[in-house]
Amino acid sequence: MAQDAGTNVKGALGLPAKRTPILIKGNDAIVKGAILAGARSYFGYPITPASEIAETASRTASSGPGISLKQEGISYCAGAELPCVIATIMRGGPGLGNIAPEQSDYNQVVRIGGHGNYRTPVYAPASGQEMCDLTMAAFETADRYRTPVMIAADGFTGQMMEPVVFPDPIPALPEKDWATRADAATRRNLISSIFLEPDELEEHNRHLQRKYKEIEEKEVRFSEYMIDGAKLVVVGYGIVSRVLRTAVHLAREEGIPVGLLRPITLFPFPKKRLEELARQAKRMITFELSNGQMIEDVRLSIHDRIPVDFYGRMGGNVPSAEECLDVIRRAAKEGGTL
Amino acid sequence: MSTMPPCGVLTPKDFKSELRPIWCPGCGDYSVLQAVYRALAAVNRPPHEIAFVSGIGCSSRIPGYTTAYGFNSVHGRALPIAQGIKMARPDLLVLAAGGDGDGFSIGGGHVAHAIRRNVDITYIVMDNQIYGLTKGQLSPTSARGTKTCTSRLGSLEQPVNPLLYVLGYGCAFVAQGTPADMPGLTAIIEEAIRYPGFALVNIQSPCVTYGEEDQLIKAHRARMTTLESLGHDPSDLIKAMDKAQHYGTELYTGVFYRNPEPPATFEGLAAERKQEMMKSAPPREKILDLFLQK
Ligand SMILES: Cc1ncc(C[n+]2csc(CCOP(=O)(O)OP(=O)(O)O)c2C)c(N)n1
Ligand code: SF4
Repeated sequence: MAQDAGTNVKGALGLPAKRTPILIKGNDAIVKGAILAGARSYFGYPITPASEIAETASRTASSGPGISLKQEGISYCAGAELPCVIATIMRGGPGLGNIAPEQSDYNQVVRIGGHGNYRTPVYAPASGQEMCDLTMAAFETADRYRTPVMIAADGFTGQMMEPVVFPDPIPALPEKDWATRADAATRRNLISSIFLEPDELEEHNRHLQRKYKEIEEKEVRFSEYMIDGAKLVVVGYGIVSRVLRTAVHLAREEGIPVGLLRPITLFPFPKKRLEELARQAKRMITFELSNGQMIEDVRLSIHDRIPVDFYGRMGGNVPSAEECLDVIRRAAKEGGTL
Repeated sequence: MSTMPPCGVLTPKDFKSELRPIWCPGCGDYSVLQAVYRALAAVNRPPHEIAFVSGIGCSSRIPGYTTAYGFNSVHGRALPIAQGIKMARPDLLVLAAGGDGDGFSIGGGHVAHAIRRNVDITYIVMDNQIYGLTKGQLSPTSARGTKTCTSRLGSLEQPVNPLLYVLGYGCAFVAQGTPADMPGLTAIIEEAIRYPGFALVNIQSPCVTYGEEDQLIKAHRARMTTLESLGHDPSDLIKAMDKAQHYGTELYTGVFYRNPEPPATFEGLAAERKQEMMKSAPPREKILDLFLQK
């Protein structure tokens, strides 16, 4: 009875795997996924809990304070339409915080931490396998839309060891006919984020917005668990979604009609699906390792049609399944969803 | 865009882009640009084989006024980007340029590491002792007591000495020039480009709008002394440091230091290591499998 329904995952995840599973840390799976996606260069800034990525090899990775430092460059890449993949392994904040897992950089990553009218697609892996697969998908998306793409994982998913089956490498990344190659032929390919004329910059910004709209239409990914007939929908991503799975399973055994929606892309956010679910459900709860950041996207998606509660832990604490189950029980009772 | 003359001999005009500089009339950066055109013509590499990287500032506009591949990056980050380009494409001639603020304030941390690695880049600093683009605030090389809009009563800090700074980190080629001596300026830029390793050219390039009186070209002409006329031996590091100490009081021009035995470059060492590793490298397919299993 416990099985995933309605997973709409595609791309790299669908590649055939020839190899046997290997036990590996999430951070290392990102590195391997990047190599399989054709990455040949890496620019890292060692910050715990993302350091394995810098130590092993390939694109760019960091955590909390390191990502804050990179914002000017990410904005530049978005403006100049330079594809790249940036992994952030979220740790406890603000300030120095600590090196335990949090999801408190949701706003920084999803609502963008740099300046200007841009967005970046954000993948939120929840397992070692996805650390690899979604990294590969991130490279494809970055190239297809000429945009920086973020991988936002929590320190837990980064540090956890799990069996991973590595897919075949992506054969070749598409030709970049827009690139400059320091030869006579590509001299006219101007790549720039500076447009001093207001009209020109506005047009450039309009072009960027069209691109983000297309991404919102085509690149949404999410998965669901026991969502059929759910009157209470719990929403969580990354490590939290795995705890929620157990909690939902246990709650269903108690007869509580609850289901899980897990956003796999945080931008684009699974707005449409949430809107649909808000028609069948009476209540939603977001579970986050933060002070409640994704909850705003959930409320916006459903236009506040039904109440949305929040349950969060901070400082590096991850809630247990029992803890989540309690929250679900209470909400079911109070909300009259039973 | 200019086309290559068939005979392959380039002139300064071949490096001049269609963009018209928008510096203030009389800004020293115009002269620096002319000297760069001439030096590049003398070196005779076609513009598409040159990468010219800058940060942000009035001076950082310079790549756009040349026909080289330009990269107008973010404030203070010309050197990391220039190093990346040189590592990826050692065959290119790589220049980096910017102001004293770009190079010794926000980007100051990068200078040490570019020198340590000794990536073969020519770094041209247009040192006007002021933040020009942002309309005249103190810069790291502003003399103590300089009055600006952010230091009405005069600055309290001692200025950075860019020459001693880079010599201290082991920079193998260090020179200083001024638009008051165009042949001299052109010569040191050309020499820096030809030097195999990281080379710094600090140019006293006056800001006519926000700079101090004694930093204008006319004043330079009266103040400058060529190191050559002092019989300076540029192969002597201690003597170079001795001369460099006078930055801010004396205006010495020419080559302070030229390591007669150019140290190995980072890109050269990296290529050697790669070659070494390739000898025992298994086939590509196998590497991938080994990598995935590790
Ligand atoms: C991160 C960042 N900080 C500050 C600025 C604003 N800014 C632009 S140029 C500049 C300093 C300019 O001085 P300098 O580098 O000496 O160059 P100059 O204009 O004098 O040639 C500053 C502070 C910026 N563009 N980006
Ligand atoms: S403000 Fe100063 S540095 Fe900038 S263009 Fe004018 S004179 Fe040159």
